[in-house]
Amino acid sequence: MSGLHNREIPTLETERLILRPHREADLADWIAFYASDRAAHVGGFKDRDEVWRGLVAGLGHWILRGYGMWAVEEKATGLLCGRVGPHCPVDWPEPEIGWLLLERAEGRGIALEAALAARRYAYETLGWHTAISLISAANTRSLALAERMGARPDGIFHHGRYGEMPIYRHPSPAELAA
Amino acid sequence: MNAIGLDTPVLETERLTLRAPVAGDIDAFTTFWSSERAHWHGGPFTPGRCWRNLGTQIGHWVMRGYGGFVMVERASGRALGLVGPWHPGEWPEREVGWSVFDPADEGRGFAKEAARRVLSHVFRDLGWPTAVSYIDPANARSRTLAEALGAKPDPAATLPPHPEDAAPCIVYRHPHPAEVAA
Repeated sequence: MSGLHNREIPTLETERLILRPHREADLADWIAFYASDRAAHVGGFKDRDEVWRGLVAGLGHWILRGYGMWAVEEKATGLLCGRVGPHCPVDWPEPEIGWLLLERAEGRGIALEAALAARRYAYETLGWHTAISLISAANTRSLALAERMGARPDGIFHHGRYGEMPIYRHPSPAELAA
Repeated sequence: MNAIGLDTPVLETERLTLRAPVAGDIDAFTTFWSSERAHWHGGPFTPGRCWRNLGTQIGHWVMRGYGGFVMVERASGRALGLVGPWHPGEWPEREVGWSVFDPADEGRGFAKEAARRVLSHVFRDLGWPTAVSYIDPANARSRTLAEALGAKPDPAATLPPHPEDAAPCIVYRHPHPAEVAA
């Protein structure tokens, strides 16, 4: 990887995690993810070529929107845990805080730590006044995470590929400060 | 954060400026990728998918340090097509590909003019040892262009992944400038 332009995608740090730009070295983990049952909640199986294109599109999102999702890396092990971040493809109802978690990162509060950092970035750095998360109704772990973040159901969004996704609306910056 | 931009090369030809894709190209890309003409590229695609494809084009630049150039006609400022170095993850080799968005712009030599310039760029500036173009056997226009550029089918080349129900592409290998000079 050349690293060209990546200097312009910020890196965040939390207690246990680094949120950094996607790298080609992350590809194998994402190929395994999209070949597993875990992909059922996020549009289903993708072949290796589609996974590469999707990962790269995630970098392009940063250029198109000025924000995007990061790769979540665990400091202690250097292992990829998932991806998280502000996200708004053109066919989304409004900007969201998105997350995808690899199996190895489950059950340790890693997604919560990453998603809180991403929401803080959206509010404090990007100046968002509100944020949603779109979550497959069958994705119980992801729904539980949204609720732990204080997000509440706020309607249903129907997407051509991803199907019906409940909209969870996060507390606003003012509500979080109260 | 909206200051994020691409520090990418701009190439000039007689009639064209070749530059990396930008957000403002979305309408031109969507018109093309949602049309029947996109069937050479796995389309037609929904508008949402067209936007993601533009993200992939731009992200390719970020990941690889090079990527596809939008052909802009200098006289009109119109985006006419896409030409360029292209190497998605699973492809065995680096390609120089081309697309003209609107059939009305075909037959005027734009793709040839752009492809010549980009081939010179990949060999001289990027230092590629070789370059191929992957072309659907049924795409007669594109094959004619490859041949006009001096490329020859390379039956020994490894094929890129392709859907089982699709015909394998022809791998055209471009002459290296050193070969041409010899």
